[in-house]
Amino acid sequence: MLLEDHIRKNKIDTVLICMFMVALLFSVIFAIGYVLDIVFLLDIPLFFIMAIGLMIALCYIMITYSFSVSSVIAAAGARPANPQNRDEKLLIYKVEEMSLAAGLPTPKVYVQDSKDINAFATGRKPDEAIICATTGAIQQLNNEELEGVIGHEMSHIRNHDILVMTVTVGIVGAIALLAEIALRSLFWSGGGRGGKKGGGPILIVVLVVSFVFAILFSRLTYLAISRRREYLADADGAYLTRNPEGLAAALEKIKNDLPDDPKGSKTVAPLYIANPYKRALRNSIWSTHPPLDERIRRLRSM
Amino acid sequence: MIELWQIIVIIIALIFVGILFWFWSFYNRIIRSENRIDNAWAQIDVQLKRRADLIPNLMETVKGYMNHERGTLEAVTKARASIMSAKTPQESMDANNMLTGALKTLFAVAESYPDLKASQNFLSLQDELTHTEEKIAYSRQHFNDSVLVFNNTIETFPGVVFAKRMDKKEKQMLQIPEASREVPKVSF
Repeated sequence: MLLEDHIRKNKIDTVLICMFMVALLFSVIFAIGYVLDIVFLLDIPLFFIMAIGLMIALCYIMITYSFSVSSVIAAAGARPANPQNRDEKLLIYKVEEMSLAAGLPTPKVYVQDSKDINAFATGRKPDEAIICATTGAIQQLNNEELEGVIGHEMSHIRNHDILVMTVTVGIVGAIALLAEIALRSLFWSGGGRGGKKGGGPILIVVLVVSFVFAILFSRLTYLAISRRREYLADADGAYLTRNPEGLAAALEKIKNDLPDDPKGSKTVAPLYIANPYKRALRNSIWSTHPPLDERIRRLRSM
Repeated sequence: MIELWQIIVIIIALIFVGILFWFWSFYNRIIRSENRIDNAWAQIDVQLKRRADLIPNLMETVKGYMNHERGTLEAVTKARASIMSAKTPQESMDANNMLTGALKTLFAVAESYPDLKASQNFLSLQDELTHTEEKIAYSRQHFNDSVLVFNNTIETFPGVVFAKRMDKKEKQMLQIPEASREVPKVSF
């Protein structure tokens, strides 16, 4: 496939998956109407439920979004890059070069002291972005490979992936929150009263199954979005550097160097270029990153 | 009660508003992509100027070590002088290409001066000049990318309709001359 086709396909996939997520959120809120009816005998108009449910979800999402940057940097234990150190100076140069290629303001450059080869990007808007690389990455990757990695991170920034992923995490969290509250209410109430909308015990079973389903599915969807965005960042990064082999070679090095003791919290994981967590979860529907081999294959076919 | 014909009118109105927004977005897209081109062009100039500004410092640093390499050193200073005195964009581009060639030669020659290569000042300048060359290359790349986006927008439908009315024409991409294609890539 041509590079442009990769990019377009990934964008379409993301839009579709996001629409699905929003639909899921709406259905959960809708179902809450039934729960309120059953548990509290409240027959609240649908419109009202949707409005309040949406407001709660939006607040939740906005709050997680505002704290995203500082928590990421703190969790990673990252420090600003030191221009006096030649390797770190060259990293700063690379980030500047890639930002010119992308037409973005130069992000701040941070370094994470770690033997592993990895990098991540964060920031609320493209003008306030931060790119961080591990000391392992700076030392073990050559010029081309480091350029590929930084190109990938810069693409995350340009594609507003941080926004997309944080909002998605927010929606997943909101769905989980609402669904869990609903489930607990249903269990406590014993479900015997039936409520004004009627439906009886079957309705309750349907609701319970739906909520559990929603929690599970929203998580899986979030992971699917995360993988799509990774492929997109790979493709866009290759376009920036005009050199897919650079990133491919870097991913090869990462493959042979997977860490056993990663730092940083689980929420940060999707922002890294390679999944630093458990080997077993790496290549399944439960992982935030696509399999390294597949990423390398796609890059080399461009 | 709302009647069928009222619903139809509302739907048509919504479609109409939708189309208006869509059109509005194309007008904006053309303007934005054109502005991006201007920005990218200015950025190239910023980097070229940066490079020219580094030259005096470079000359000072190598002066003590490479006194006998008259020709090489003069080529660099001459190129810089013609950049400063260039009046047209074409002259400016030619002068900059001359400088790229002269710098390439200078760094190649510097390889045989171990004292110079050991100097922190020189190393740091070399890093910075290489960095500036990369920035120039990427700025040019971004300019060409921006031109591509603009040309695509005004040549595909419906942008092409707007372009005619706004009198927008296809823009030219930068042709990178042969000499500067091989930017010295120092391996770190």
